[in-house]
Amino acid sequence: MGKPGFSPRGGGEGRGGGGGFRGRGGGGEGRGGGGFRGRGGGDRGGSRGGFGGRGGGDRGGFGGRGGGDRGGGRGRGGFGGRGGGDRGRGGRGAGRGGGAGGFKGGKTVTIEPHRHEGVFIARGKEDALVTRNFVPGSEVYGEKRISVETGGEKIEYRVWNPFRSKLAAAILGGVEKIHMPPGSKVLYLGAASGTTVSHVSDVVGPEGLVYAVEFSHRSGRDLINVAKKRTNIIPIIEDARHPHKYRMLVGMVDTIFADVAQPDQGRIVALNAQHFLKNGGHFVISIKASCIDSTAQPEAVFAAEVKKMQADKLKPQEQLTLEPYERDHAVVVGVYRPPGKQ
Amino acid sequence: MFVLYETPAGYAIFKLMDEKKLEQVDNLYLEFETPEKANKLLKLKHFEKFNDTTEALAAATAAVEGKVAKPLKKTLKKLLIDEVQSPLLVADAKLGTAIKDKLSVQCVYNTGVQELMRCIRQQADSLLGGLPKKEMTAMALGLAHSLSRYKLKFSPDKIDTMIVQAQCLLDDLDKELNNYMMRAREWYGWHFPELGKIITDNVAFVKTIKLVGTRDNMAAADLSDILPEDVEEKVKEAAEISMGTEISEEDVLNIQCLCDEIISINDYRTHLYDYLKARMMAMAPNLTVLVGDTVGARLIAHAGSLINLAKHPSSTVQILGAEKALFRALKTKKDTPKYGLIYHAQLVGQASQKNKGKMSRSLAAKASLATRVDAFGEEATFELGAAHKVKLEARLRLLEEGNLRKLSGTGKAKAKFEKYQAKSEVFTYQPEADNTLNVKKRKHSEAEEEESTPVKKEVKEEPAEEEAELKSEKKKKKKKKQKDEEAPEEEPKPEPEPEEAPTPAKKKKKSKKEQQE
Repeated sequence: MGKPGFSPRGGGEGRGGGGGFRGRGGGGEGRGGGGFRGRGGGDRGGSRGGFGGRGGGDRGGFGGRGGGDRGGGRGRGGFGGRGGGDRGRGGRGAGRGGGAGGFKGGKTVTIEPHRHEGVFIARGKEDALVTRNFVPGSEVYGEKRISVETGGEKIEYRVWNPFRSKLAAAILGGVEKIHMPPGSKVLYLGAASGTTVSHVSDVVGPEGLVYAVEFSHRSGRDLINVAKKRTNIIPIIEDARHPHKYRMLVGMVDTIFADVAQPDQGRIVALNAQHFLKNGGHFVISIKASCIDSTAQPEAVFAAEVKKMQADKLKPQEQLTLEPYERDHAVVVGVYRPPGKQ
Repeated sequence: MFVLYETPAGYAIFKLMDEKKLEQVDNLYLEFETPEKANKLLKLKHFEKFNDTTEALAAATAAVEGKVAKPLKKTLKKLLIDEVQSPLLVADAKLGTAIKDKLSVQCVYNTGVQELMRCIRQQADSLLGGLPKKEMTAMALGLAHSLSRYKLKFSPDKIDTMIVQAQCLLDDLDKELNNYMMRAREWYGWHFPELGKIITDNVAFVKTIKLVGTRDNMAAADLSDILPEDVEEKVKEAAEISMGTEISEEDVLNIQCLCDEIISINDYRTHLYDYLKARMMAMAPNLTVLVGDTVGARLIAHAGSLINLAKHPSSTVQILGAEKALFRALKTKKDTPKYGLIYHAQLVGQASQKNKGKMSRSLAAKASLATRVDAFGEEATFELGAAHKVKLEARLRLLEEGNLRKLSGTGKAKAKFEKYQAKSEVFTYQPEADNTLNVKKRKHSEAEEEESTPVKKEVKEEPAEEEAELKSEKKKKKKKKQKDEEAPEEEPKPEPEPEEAPTPAKKKKKSKKEQQE
């Protein structure tokens, strides 16, 4: 056996150590593993990958030997019980891949335009929200792609996962309007790594423009990489609280989308609207109730936020919750300085 | 009046034709409804185009920081020769002061100017005239990319990142070492189970296996470098009468490979820890002296950077790392946690269970002061931290002895610590209270009355309900008694009906009374 390389907490496959531990277990079977099997722990290990022999089975840490007794039936043997590695992306990615599983081949899939311009629905084994890929052949964050041939022309679409993007969740939740038709200019506050931004850039198309503002340097790095491929994204690594710092870069926009999850979110949007949102332009704000007040009822928080917006000439027109995709989230859509009634 | 308007392509200076329009802030946008109207109000005086992207980048960074870039200075000077003493409207108050200092031009920045800038941005295409839209977008894109790259390249908290990463790696290494160690003990335990019990120190255990191999060699081996004498003897004794199974040479080789791995990780861990200690001492000496390097590094990692940690109030520092408990407590209106990461600091650990909360509060107060000195102070010494540590130790001693004197009063009375009772009510700020005018005041008192009345009601209601319950219980008991008494004499069937009937009626009466109240 080779000396296991130094890779603490490495992934499943690349790990020399895991294989090493299993090595002898497999050998044990060959040499007549009956002796081992006599101990209850080994047999029990089958289901849990646990050890059990020492009475420490509840820790589940020693899957390696249990696996060995079974003749190494499991691929990973080693540290199966630890969780970490198996969980994959964890966290928000819980629902990932669910809708996107059935799109292999792409023959049975048909694309229909969505009510919102620039957004499409892919109808296959399972339906999914998709956008037309602005840069065919490349993906942004490991999402599924679907190629469809219509009249000799191949068009590529990217699946938009509502569990990862609040805008997609809002669209699937049936929001009346997202105010991002192709060719429009969007100021996107809280762009993060650029996953949703990439879809917005698909939606607005080559004639449109997305100003993506993100404060975190770490996420900003990924955002710049997305913006490198997509020329309609202008990345701005700056605090959205100080719009005057990026006044040189941003022109007048048609829509502001905000997903900043800050207690003073309303104020941030109002400031940016004052600087960059045209009269009669629209805003789409995603509000996370626990970020504003974790003790109050979510409905009360949303109502208070809406009231604050009204004071800043942001006129809310529509509000919907993002259940079941996000808990205690709401999206508020509205208009800024609507033209007078005369 | 002139207006300075920055674009990605260059600086534009407009002349404002009608200054009075600026005063009507709310109706300013009417003047910019069409390009013709806008051109009537504003005339492009000068457009200073950037020569290349480097110049644009320099200008953009200057704009972010509120400084005067070189091309801007040149342009303004040229302008000044033509027309002296006319104020300049700028989009950033900070930039205005900078210009005023450098060129002694009067600068104006207010809501009116803000609105004007917004209007100019709306009609920028027509006002700037000659520049095609496409070119402007391209310039903005290029400038944005280079600006953000520049930002990332000269990120101010890169040293913090090193500490954060090192601390995280240290935690990972510990976890992994523990895992490997358990595996080694388990594996070698088949061959020589007694050894695990005798040598509890992990490194010594691994080194012994590495040196000896199978237990047959134990008697001949010299373990004096690794183990103390008595332990060595015990090991040798146990090796002769061990109940472990025999294993082949190949098996031992593999176990020894694992031992090599453990030793090398352990060495690396020591090395990394030294590095972290040195880094912490260099970056945050006061904090390190107060809470120790591991806890200090954890605090920094949790806040994101030293500057962020310095911006936290000490009450936050105290419970940093116990967010889950905090929010659970806030939601259920229970007591909030007393300590988070700071619990592992030496000073808190020394305190007895009763005083841990007090100590963590005092330590957090001093730690946040120390962090601020570290983050924003000029010189890098740990004097302040050391002085605070001495004070805290003295305080801890006082607390432990229990000879605390009251600070107020004569000073002779012993201080008593009463449990702090958190008020679970949430008070909202009432902006009406700010206004001292009569009209508003009445409203405020009205609101107060409105609020106070339901409380009274609740108070009244509760005893009434309790009484009702008590009575009904009593009645039930009576019923039972009656039942018991009557049972031997007659059949009890007709009795409960008249008994039960009055109870709801009475209750109804009561509720009516309550409503009247």
